[in-house]
Amino acid sequence: MDVESFDTALLRTTIGRALRRGGDFAEVFVEDRESLGLRLEDGRIEQTSGGRESGAAVRLLAGERTYYAYSDAVDEAGLTAAADAVAAAVSSGADGVSIVDLGAVFSAPEKHPVLTPPAEVGAADKAALVRAGDEAARSVSGEIVQAVIGYGDTRQRVLIANSLGDLVYDDRTRTRFTAQVVARRGDVIQTGHEAVGGSAGLELVDEEGARGVARTAADKARTMLDSRPAPVGAMPVVLGNGFGGTLFHEACGHGLEADAVAKGASIYAGKMGAVVAAPIVSAYDEGSITNGWGSQAFDDEGVPTQKTLVIEEGRLAGYLYDRLRAREAGAAPTGNGRRQSYRHIPIPRMTTTYIAPGRSTPEEIIAATRRGFYAKSLAGGQVEPASGNFVFGVAEGYLIEDGKITAPLRGATLVGNGIDILMKIDMIAGDFEVKTGICGKDGQGVPVGTGQATLRIAEMTVGGTG
Amino acid sequence: MFPVLDAVLERARRQGAVDVEVFGERSTSRRIKVFRQEVEQLTAARRRGVGLRVFRDGAVGHAYTSDLSEDALDDLVRRALDNVAVSDADEYMALPRPQGEPADVRPYDSRLAAATDAQRIAVALEVEAAALAADRRVKLVEDTLYADGDGEVFIVSTAGVRRSYRAGQCYAFAYVLAEEGGQVETGYSYGVGRALEDLDPRAVGAEAAGRAARLLGARKCPSMRAPVILDPFVSAAFFGVLSSALTADAVQKGRSLFAGREGERVAGDLLELVDDGTLPDGPDSAPFDGEGVPSARTPLIAGGVLQGFLHDTYTARKAGLASTGNGMRGGYSGLPRVSPSNLVVAGPTTPLDEIVAGVEKGVLVTDAVGIHSGANPVSGEFSVGISGILIEDGEFTTPVREVTLAGDIVGMLTGVRALGDDARWVPAGSIHTPSVVIDGMTVGGT
Repeated sequence: MDVESFDTALLRTTIGRALRRGGDFAEVFVEDRESLGLRLEDGRIEQTSGGRESGAAVRLLAGERTYYAYSDAVDEAGLTAAADAVAAAVSSGADGVSIVDLGAVFSAPEKHPVLTPPAEVGAADKAALVRAGDEAARSVSGEIVQAVIGYGDTRQRVLIANSLGDLVYDDRTRTRFTAQVVARRGDVIQTGHEAVGGSAGLELVDEEGARGVARTAADKARTMLDSRPAPVGAMPVVLGNGFGGTLFHEACGHGLEADAVAKGASIYAGKMGAVVAAPIVSAYDEGSITNGWGSQAFDDEGVPTQKTLVIEEGRLAGYLYDRLRAREAGAAPTGNGRRQSYRHIPIPRMTTTYIAPGRSTPEEIIAATRRGFYAKSLAGGQVEPASGNFVFGVAEGYLIEDGKITAPLRGATLVGNGIDILMKIDMIAGDFEVKTGICGKDGQGVPVGTGQATLRIAEMTVGGTG
Repeated sequence: MFPVLDAVLERARRQGAVDVEVFGERSTSRRIKVFRQEVEQLTAARRRGVGLRVFRDGAVGHAYTSDLSEDALDDLVRRALDNVAVSDADEYMALPRPQGEPADVRPYDSRLAAATDAQRIAVALEVEAAALAADRRVKLVEDTLYADGDGEVFIVSTAGVRRSYRAGQCYAFAYVLAEEGGQVETGYSYGVGRALEDLDPRAVGAEAAGRAARLLGARKCPSMRAPVILDPFVSAAFFGVLSSALTADAVQKGRSLFAGREGERVAGDLLELVDDGTLPDGPDSAPFDGEGVPSARTPLIAGGVLQGFLHDTYTARKAGLASTGNGMRGGYSGLPRVSPSNLVVAGPTTPLDEIVAGVEKGVLVTDAVGIHSGANPVSGEFSVGISGILIEDGEFTTPVREVTLAGDIVGMLTGVRALGDDARWVPAGSIHTPSVVIDGMTVGGT
């Protein structure tokens, strides 16, 4: 199936068919996705898996209701069945919505250029990357006992047509290389993780780059072998750049997604313009960063991605909208309507969300902290958007004593509340960096960037075992 | 789908492949969300696809497709052959042989296929209404979900495996926000069954509301070393993380804290932990696994002593054992990997009120945040955020939140001192567990 040259007359017919019994907006989403993944563990490539999945979804909106049907058969029969399924479900609002004729296909291939398309590189060369990573990780130390090295690429082609007349084609390539390394000394086992990824091709990682990623992961694991249990209690916490941004993503970002706001399930609901952070904090969601892992030219509703200011000098400045929630709120969509695949309803999602860099240096921040906890790298966490309460695991943490980084600490978690910690940010450095992740919400995983510069939270609860 | 699978097998053979396995899946599903007594989302889905594994000299290549056209099937075979050429060989990696008769379990109830969308919507509406009515402090039901799936699985191989089964499941879920004096607390509950008639929508809504409301007024408590009671939802989350360390895959790759400890005491002596894919009411029960191997009952911990690990065909060959039927597939696009079917936590039980009455100072944990990120299944160390109810002199007193629970998994298991009489299925992970009482845990508060 060729997505780009898909029969637009069939798309228009399907939109009309979906709307024939009611509803006020209809959309067809056609997708073709090719993927390849390699996984090395125990020194051997144990899994090489690839495939092709294609399908089409029909979405019908009627007021605040969403009706959705999809099929793995991308042909007239499949689209007709999906259109009939949503039309059968709608029961009101049959006001004869006028359907705008579809225009020419709109696309923006220049936004995220792919220099070396993964499909043009043989699997053997990709295998060489993961083998180089394994070798590099194991050469770091005799205490490295295991390395899991992963390589993955996907090419997702989508065509989105709707009753407003939009017709958007987007060709998205993503490539990612990951290393998870285990170090062991006696009974102490520690892990380290590192990854590189982007909306780009194989230019993103060569063998030397692969070795670097694996060595970084191995260094983290080995360093943590020397760790002692983290202390318990409230103290200043310095969050490292890059992975430290996961905290803002989880603890604050999800509350800015317009579905949580509309339901009153977010601590940020009704607070536009209110002070929600310290005055040194400004923050953005930016789905348009060139070649960014969380970037694409258009979101999954065909809206161009953009840079959205969400916090301006401590005040709440914006929410992240998909079409449905923008329509309800009388706001413009912000290019945050995303879906994992045609099997999923688009919902407001972050792209790359971050606190803007500040004027300090990481060295100044550490030196200004008499006793505290340096969370260099976070393992991930969970948050309740309703209350903003969160918990994060710390993958790599250190004690700060007399303005110096001293002993590595293990088993630490950071516990707190989103608004509370944003208010307590008192120093931000300029060493901004973005890391890659997969964010889960409502059973859908989408690629996101998380990032930040090194920053300090004046006081936060550290939960440890020591 | 047997004709499609046979066609793939034949194509692969013509391309020179000898050891071939084809897995097929087709299903329909519904997912309905309601909000404020209106349908918010309704999704109707049809899904189908084929996965192909080719084995050659100890290497395996995998490919999948959702497109079943002639061209797509040719492409599928080409990809699998490309992939087997890249994978490294391992003497234990081989095509699964037929291994016994499928387990006698029928995870399907034809009443599921007879359900209408109106009936499904009614279930979801009743869940939400029950939650809203349960307590005046319920502010809203953020998520009310009904979902079901009705699918068939097929598997054929050149070793002579040729099997299929049909499975159906439905569930209801509610996530409730309660508010009082500006404080918001949350609670959730599930119900699971093979047909709508198995669900109790009112109980799901009321329980979710009750769990949120009882935490209102929560605050930090002082740090202490004390016994804790993990309620079934929290216990299930812990055993879910723990179970990954009980797979032979983790053991053989040095990722399990239980490696080499079979026959040793790893838990309180009353604790039994069993994986059982054959239970009539088990949400994840099935006649066979993703490799066509019969599902089984596999004791993992008995009398506090580690009995063994879960296996798929590969790990079993490596260990010189038989597969326990735990080569699970997430779908046609995934490879089989060792994971539990239904996990059952059992042992002698004590009435829960009796347990509480015997606690001088401790915490009933009703929610734990960060188990998946805050627990390290390799080292066994964990530190998670918890909410719950303080127990003082044998009575529930004030709710607590923003406190941490820390320790290590083996220490926690050996500290298991009693089990409640409230065992139930928790669908996330498909775990059947009562409340679990653990001595000497570190609670980090003020």
